[in-house]
Amino acid sequence: MAIGLISALLFLEGVLNLLTYILRRVLYLIPMLLIITFLVYLGLELMPGDAIDFMASPDTIAMMSPEDLDNLRETLGLNDPFIIRYFKWLGQIFQGNFGYSLSTGVAIKDIVFDRLPATVELATIALIFSSLFGSLLGVLSALKRGSLADNALSIAGMIGVSIPQFFFGLVAILFFALQLHWFPHGGRTLPGYETFLDRLPHLILPSLVMSLTMTAGVMRYARTSMLDSMNKDFIKTARSKGVPEWRVNLVHGLRVAMTPVVVLIGFRLPMLIGGAVVIEQIFQWPGIGSEFIGAVRSQNVPLVMMISLLSVSAVLLASVIVDIVTALLDPRVKLD
Amino acid sequence: MENTVVKKKRTKLDRKMDKIKALEESGALKKQKKVNRYLRKFMNNKLAVAGVIVFVIILIACFAAPLFTKYDPGTIDVLNRLQPPTKEHILGTDKLGRDVFTRLLYGGQVSIVVGLGSALGAAFIGVTLGCYAGYKGGLLDNLIMRVSELMMSFPRIILVLLLVTIVGQSLSNLLIIFICTGWASMYRMARAQMLSLREEEYVQALKAFGINDFVIAFKHMLPNALGPISVNITLSTAMFILQETALSYLGLGVPLDISTWGNILNAAQDLRILKESYWMWLPVGLTISLFVLSVNFIGDGLRDSTDPTQQG
Repeated sequence: MAIGLISALLFLEGVLNLLTYILRRVLYLIPMLLIITFLVYLGLELMPGDAIDFMASPDTIAMMSPEDLDNLRETLGLNDPFIIRYFKWLGQIFQGNFGYSLSTGVAIKDIVFDRLPATVELATIALIFSSLFGSLLGVLSALKRGSLADNALSIAGMIGVSIPQFFFGLVAILFFALQLHWFPHGGRTLPGYETFLDRLPHLILPSLVMSLTMTAGVMRYARTSMLDSMNKDFIKTARSKGVPEWRVNLVHGLRVAMTPVVVLIGFRLPMLIGGAVVIEQIFQWPGIGSEFIGAVRSQNVPLVMMISLLSVSAVLLASVIVDIVTALLDPRVKLD
Repeated sequence: MENTVVKKKRTKLDRKMDKIKALEESGALKKQKKVNRYLRKFMNNKLAVAGVIVFVIILIACFAAPLFTKYDPGTIDVLNRLQPPTKEHILGTDKLGRDVFTRLLYGGQVSIVVGLGSALGAAFIGVTLGCYAGYKGGLLDNLIMRVSELMMSFPRIILVLLLVTIVGQSLSNLLIIFICTGWASMYRMARAQMLSLREEEYVQALKAFGINDFVIAFKHMLPNALGPISVNITLSTAMFILQETALSYLGLGVPLDISTWGNILNAAQDLRILKESYWMWLPVGLTISLFVLSVNFIGDGLRDSTDPTQQG
């Protein structure tokens, strides 16, 4: 009875610890986001141009007389002190009003919603493929360490991280699209073809290029992690107990080796967004990345700032989620 | 009879031992011992040595470019535009009739300087801050750590392009942007080294003697962290070269009138050139890959020879 009570209390304490840890990680996001949004707003204010241009839609501005414009300025709070302007702007952001693109006058929110699915589609495939393939090859290479296959994979991985991603993409376009005509060389859909199956041929080449360049990194990491865990004492214990070799490798070694790999995959998100920028440009993939390049080229400051802000927020959010997931997976993670 | 049997049983190991014995007797081993241990380990790594050789060849070819080509990278020759490789132009000519081989060599100068310069600049800032703040700890360390966290939560290329939008496009701006975005990871690496060195007894002893913090951090601790720092500088050089080429390929890096490896590849944005004029982009892309690969092999070799935990 008493023992049951104590163990229940201990369990409760563990849950409580975990909850405070999660809360602390989430609360930690707030100052980071405040600083980043503040910097972004500072950038927007310091850039040449009138702030009203990207706070109100160009259509409304064009229709207005100078007095109305002054009124709008007052209501938008552009005559307020800087700090108040910043918080008003922040309030707008939280309501989903990201401002307007300088070049087309379209609301940035609409641009993002229009472009995001394409990027998510590409990035998800690349993430899944590179994680599975990379950790598989890395673990195999660690188990067969020093063998011909291991050396070949190591060198292949090195080559993989050394070839510029866009050059790899160009070669892929030349061979598979322009010479062999297996896949289209760019774009996402043809007019009139809307289903996923119609889009599939367009998707294969860019997602494959992106996955392969990312696989190399995961593979190298998984190999080191697996080697590390195979040197631990509990592996020797398992072997000396007479546990079959495949079980030692796959059950005991792999489980511990995978935790850092999961963390790495979580932290790949910045690379995923970064990689998508270049890949989308090469394959004329209509995602956030190619929109971003276009915005940088045309000095479309509000759009550049908002896409940067969104990607940083996504990365920060992902890192918090990764922290929480690892805390749930691995009881040895310190909760402080 | 017995003697021959014994001779047949001699294994590979025996022959190796014999070789070592012969070397020892002739005195060759004594000489070898004078060579730095790290250097010897490095030289045993075949891939790293191959990396050094390729690195040096490309470096010499680029920086002694006038010896290898009689053309000027900027000279426009409209009559000879889009020529495939000939004896006159080993790698053909581009859209404006400029010799591609010449541009490859001169472009390498800029790309290598940008890569190496950014890595050294970022290392200088990151290591100086990391060395002192990592040793001292406290508020300064906390503050710099938060700033570096902030910088590292940006996807690298997004941050670089954001800064390009703000400060504009030029060679020196690009160098500054690379240094600004690259110091954070150097800081973390140097700081981590310092944190583990801080607990060493010799540091405690120096502290007890009342030696100046700066002297302890930079004169006594920093030399012990040089291995990981040099590895990091090497690998960062490779990364910055890749970044420069990607940005210039997009037309957002070094201004297009300066030849760099990325700027030459910029021409391949045109699908017709991509398909019909392979000489304008394929050799340059291969050179970049080869150079970055050699730098990465050197970095890996350095790590293996300086870091005992990475062996095997």
